Amino acid sequence: MSYAYLFKYIIIGDTGVGKSCLLLQFTDKRFQPVHDLTIGVEFGARMITIDNKLIKLQIWDTAGQEAFRSITRSYYRGAAGALLVYDITRRETFNHLTTWLEDARQHSNSNMVIMLIGNKSDLESRREVKKEEGDAFAREHGLIFMETSARTAANVEEAFINTAKEIYEKIQEGVFDINNEANGIKIGPQHSPSNASLPPGSQSSSPSSGCC
Amino acid sequence: MQHQYWVTKETVFRKLGKKEDAYIVASDAELDAKLELFRSIQDSCLDLQRIIDKYQERICLLAQEENSMGRFLKECGKQDKTGAGNMMLGVGRTMSHSGQQRLALRMPLLRLFQEVETFRHRAIEDTWKTVQAMEKSRTEYRASLSWMKDISQELDPDTYKQLEKFRKVQDHVKMTKARFDRYKLDCLQKIDLLAAARCNMFSHALITYHNTMLQFATASAQAFTTVGDSFKDYQRFEFNHVKELSEIKPEENSTNDQEQDDK
Repeated sequence: MSYAYLFKYIIIGDTGVGKSCLLLQFTDKRFQPVHDLTIGVEFGARMITIDNKLIKLQIWDTAGQEAFRSITRSYYRGAAGALLVYDITRRETFNHLTTWLEDARQHSNSNMVIMLIGNKSDLESRREVKKEEGDAFAREHGLIFMETSARTAANVEEAFINTAKEIYEKIQEGVFDINNEANGIKIGPQHSPSNASLPPGSQSSSPSSGCC
Repeated sequence: MQHQYWVTKETVFRKLGKKEDAYIVASDAELDAKLELFRSIQDSCLDLQRIIDKYQERICLLAQEENSMGRFLKECGKQDKTGAGNMMLGVGRTMSHSGQQRLALRMPLLRLFQEVETFRHRAIEDTWKTVQAMEKSRTEYRASLSWMKDISQELDPDTYKQLEKFRKVQDHVKMTKARFDRYKLDCLQKIDLLAAARCNMFSHALITYHNTMLQFATASAQAFTTVGDSFKDYQRFEFNHVKELSEIKPEENSTNDQEQDDK
């Protein structure tokens, strides 16, 4: 199936916050209570439609364990969107957000859309981080915020799709230079044959170029 | 065979003490702290063994000297028919006896020595082998992480060949990680056990030493007190040269003398 755009996403956050489960819920619509530790990175993909355009989300689900930190840093490069996940039942995963955010901002392009996700919202009785705190953190750092549950699928679709919408809007506004693959956006094969034939050196710096 | 390249590289780097990935080092913090404990047990047990050996040797020498001194006093006492001779005889006898009794301390010490030696050759040696195996698996694990890091630089999941290659490395990391995690757990548990076993060994072996020491000290203190008491009425010797030996303070003596003079 050919797509109009391809967005590269990364999912980051402490180990055990449910990154892989969010991906599984989004791509396969199922939940696995016990998940193997992610080694390095796993991939997922799904087609979505925004504004009548088919968009392929290529999702990089990174390992949260500390030992993989240097490896996962190389996956930030060229991502258009990031889901920064914490676990609402574990305060320390929320406390580490600043480090994750710094890491993400340092190793990715500045236009990357970051969605803050407080996962495991179904475990209300064990909640340690209030929704307001997540909200405040997101506002302070200019992120979008949502609480999700990979178990019940609540807000999972929305989290991925809203991020895509935000990226799409940025493309419309001309913030992203979509010819530059370092931004994590690829134009689909059928979409702009003229651009595909351009040699890489002749990319226009005009932000609106190649955009619908 | 490509992983061998990374293993060799990692081995060389670790040998040379090259600065390693801070995140990987940090994730092994618990293990490294435990290894520190292991090394301290290893070193202190070796030190302890040497010290026990020296200690029992010194006890032996001290006992010999004590015995000779006692014999010497006894001999002198026999020749001196005055009260001093009597005193020398008494002290000499007690000293010889105390010297012989002191040797009893060696038995529990030798036992402790043997216990520590067995502990070193069995328990520490065994743990050390596990630590060695763990370090080997750690090198392999870190090597596979470097390999993965290298291959991650240019990774595109939509390019089949690259993804294939990545999966291969990923499987390798999975394998080395599983092995390392197993050895890591082994190490953590064994070192904890080792520390507990050491305490156990000490509490057993030291109790006999403690009791023997107490027995010896009480008995010889009593013997010397008895000897001392029997000399109470003897005239005191006035130390003119080695003044620090005089037990009674000089002023007390002099006031006594003066009082006596006054009378």
